[in-house]
Amino acid sequence: MEFFTDSNIQFMKYRKYWMILSIALLLVGAIEVLFVGKLNLGIDFAGGTQLTLKFSEPIEIERLRDIVAGAGVEDAVIQSFGAAGVNEALIKTPVVEGSQEGSQALVVSALDAALDNLGPGIDLNRVGRETVEALLSSSDPDAVMAGKERYGPAVDAILGFRRERGLIEDWGSISALPQVTPAILEALEAGARLGKFSILGAENVGPQIGSELRQKGLLAIVSSMIGMLIYIWIRFELRFGVGALVAVLHDVFITVGLYALLGFEFNLTTIAAFLTLVGYSVNDTVVVFDRVRENLRRARSTPLEETMNVSLNQTLSRTVLTSGTTLLVVGSILFLGGDVLRGFAFILTVGVIVGTYSSIYVACPFALLWESMFGRGARGRRREARATSA
Amino acid sequence: MKRGLLWKGVLIGLIVLVGALSAYPLQEKIKLGLDLRGGTYLVLEVQTEDALRAETGKDLARLVQELQDLGADTVSATRTSATAFDLLGLGSDHATDLSTVAEEFLPGWGYQRRDGRVVFEMKTQNANLIANQSVKQAVETIRNRIDAYGVSEPVIQRQGLQGNRIVVQLPGVDDPDRVKKLIKNTAFLDFRLVAYPADGRGASSREQILGNYGGRLPDELEIIAGPIRDSEGNFVADQYYAVEKVSVITGRDLKDARPGLGDFNQPIVNFFLTHEGGQRFGEVTAANIGRGLAIVLDGRVRSAPTIRAQIRDSGIIEGSFTRQEVEDLSTVLKSGALPASITYLEERTIGPSLGQDSIDQGLKAGLLGLALVVLTMFLIYKVSGFNAVLALSLNIVLIFGALAYFGATLTLPGIAGIVLTIGMAVDANVLVFERIREELRHGRTVKSAVDAGFGKAMSSVLDANVTTLLAALFLFQFGTGPIRGFAVTLSVGIFASLFTALFVSRWLFDLILSRRQRVDHLSI
Repeated sequence: MEFFTDSNIQFMKYRKYWMILSIALLLVGAIEVLFVGKLNLGIDFAGGTQLTLKFSEPIEIERLRDIVAGAGVEDAVIQSFGAAGVNEALIKTPVVEGSQEGSQALVVSALDAALDNLGPGIDLNRVGRETVEALLSSSDPDAVMAGKERYGPAVDAILGFRRERGLIEDWGSISALPQVTPAILEALEAGARLGKFSILGAENVGPQIGSELRQKGLLAIVSSMIGMLIYIWIRFELRFGVGALVAVLHDVFITVGLYALLGFEFNLTTIAAFLTLVGYSVNDTVVVFDRVRENLRRARSTPLEETMNVSLNQTLSRTVLTSGTTLLVVGSILFLGGDVLRGFAFILTVGVIVGTYSSIYVACPFALLWESMFGRGARGRRREARATSA
Repeated sequence: MKRGLLWKGVLIGLIVLVGALSAYPLQEKIKLGLDLRGGTYLVLEVQTEDALRAETGKDLARLVQELQDLGADTVSATRTSATAFDLLGLGSDHATDLSTVAEEFLPGWGYQRRDGRVVFEMKTQNANLIANQSVKQAVETIRNRIDAYGVSEPVIQRQGLQGNRIVVQLPGVDDPDRVKKLIKNTAFLDFRLVAYPADGRGASSREQILGNYGGRLPDELEIIAGPIRDSEGNFVADQYYAVEKVSVITGRDLKDARPGLGDFNQPIVNFFLTHEGGQRFGEVTAANIGRGLAIVLDGRVRSAPTIRAQIRDSGIIEGSFTRQEVEDLSTVLKSGALPASITYLEERTIGPSLGQDSIDQGLKAGLLGLALVVLTMFLIYKVSGFNAVLALSLNIVLIFGALAYFGATLTLPGIAGIVLTIGMAVDANVLVFERIREELRHGRTVKSAVDAGFGKAMSSVLDANVTTLLAALFLFQFGTGPIRGFAVTLSVGIFASLFTALFVSRWLFDLILSRRQRVDHLSI
């Protein structure tokens, strides 16, 4: 199957309109980011605490909100997490004033109190291996005085079960484990209890680290762009470097704008996605420029505009194919890759589409624009103009 | 077959074999990041100011002591900051004594006279040294504690050479809260003789103690509070003791500490003293039979039993502890005290069940993406598509081989990186194949079209990959944790795809073309 074998699309003919479209899109993105929308900064950058909890019974988000607010933790974002019916919730709270260590302890103890989750005995949904082992060896259900080793397998089985399910809901579920004998179960029921929720994940980023990550992230994106500009400047010429840089800025701003508009969260993975996007966008542009350079060597007298048109047509099928295969991959992550990778895949999906467009309609026109303003021909014309006016 | 082709084939085979062997078996060779296998990642900061403050206090006391020994009875000193103090009341007749003492005992300090006082400031170099030491010691102490707790493959690292941050990674910990407390526990233990009240129980208020001393506490005493607990270990109220300022022994004099059970089956800590500590403890206890001995932990009196006989080299610490508390306390006492307190700046705990979901979904998406790409290649390039797909498969083998070889950790963004590399790896093939098609359209023979295709596409392929590599390098430089994992997989993927697209794929074409004398048609 072959595409575009003899295509002769006049890409550069209507470049003014495309440039206007791009600038408009870019402005919309920039305005959205800078003035309109409040960026949804994740705890990586804003600092704060994020807890992922699993409850043994369905719990209403409103109720959670009341409990957390009752603990004196303000502005919490609470949402249900994962598939329906798994009773998982995500609680995100901002930085606690004057503390690096966050709100985890506050929130958890408020939940314990509100859900009546206190009481004698260890909470099997929260304690670790050692604690369970200690309980069993002290109550010694098998009455053998054998010490910790004897109950090791049972403890492993119970905690393994918890690890897999996230939460032990009732005693029945662990009594089914072969290692848990009736005697052991009895000892556990006497000395332990099953808490009403477990902590699947807990992340806290103090304000200090948050601001550092913010700076580093921005620095990474800006310095990578400068790095690319320099590389292209050395490998090609300044005018191409400028074209590529404008194209990258264009892609990043449009994607950021769309990303922010849809309310996705900005976190460390987002920075990784944007850096990849920068790489991809330049990659795509470079292939076109490479062809332009090759064609320029062959036919020096042809105007740059026409050479660009020819080169764009020659590389068109490659452009479409590579974008296509990359889209197939990032698209499948977008739809099947799960919650954690969704933002990442979204950025790349949009980025690949916009990046392909910009290699054609942004990078080349801007290289042309630069050439007409500062290029050799332009300089000559300016000198003439100065001479006649004098 | 030409010799060159044969050798290239052998080389390719060897490289792929090494890659495959280093990644086999996959489950054992590829380390999963904390975000995938579950675990805790902590960044903590050592409050080095604590260590400086302690050092200043020690030096200050030493200076006053030495000057008083030389007859300057009126001197006293007050600390003004973590690294500075003022010396007051030094008569002019002791001016030379000051310089002798300062030179001999406080070499790390600078001082100058200022309206009747002598202002001492710690030299920056000395302060840096102490701060640096305290971080090093904290790393050691934390390592001891985590080892004692029993975590497999922990990572405990100082961040940077001079920084006061420590990164701790604990894979598969199922009780992160307990470990966090264990690490942070300063566990500063000391034993002090009790002056009042004499019966082992504390006074109910500070005022009661002050009343006993006529309103002013003697200089050698201080008041320390401690909790009263009920039989279930719940806090009831504070009680107060007047104890001597000088410790009999401290945590540093301990050789070993073990959890145990007391006479009433209550949890206690058994401790064993070093030779020196035992001697000192023996002397003091022998001389003070019948007096109370306060066991002070982190500035709180945990219990104040009465000394019944001389105690030489071992004893017990009791004080309404829970079982878990005595276990953790013995661990901490054994590992030594932290030189300074610790603040957690960042914590990420990911439960294993969260990680498993992510792996499953990431893999499913990756496999589907891969299948779609393979299908597309066959659809578009027909038989030559096989060439691209083979290059792609080798690419994946090499990526995993390199990850295993460098001991890199596979993180969730890392999986995305591999999947993305798959999408982009075919780019190099596409560039070459499109060029070959173009040359064929210009009427070249198959052989020369292949030659020209590879030759002309080379610079595009290189430029395109260098730019992506640049992005990966910046990611590595500025990223942390999982993001670095992504940068590593992306970079490894770029090298692998350059090798497979330019070398392996070329070799395959040459191999096919060398079989026949004249090739009229290429399925591309």
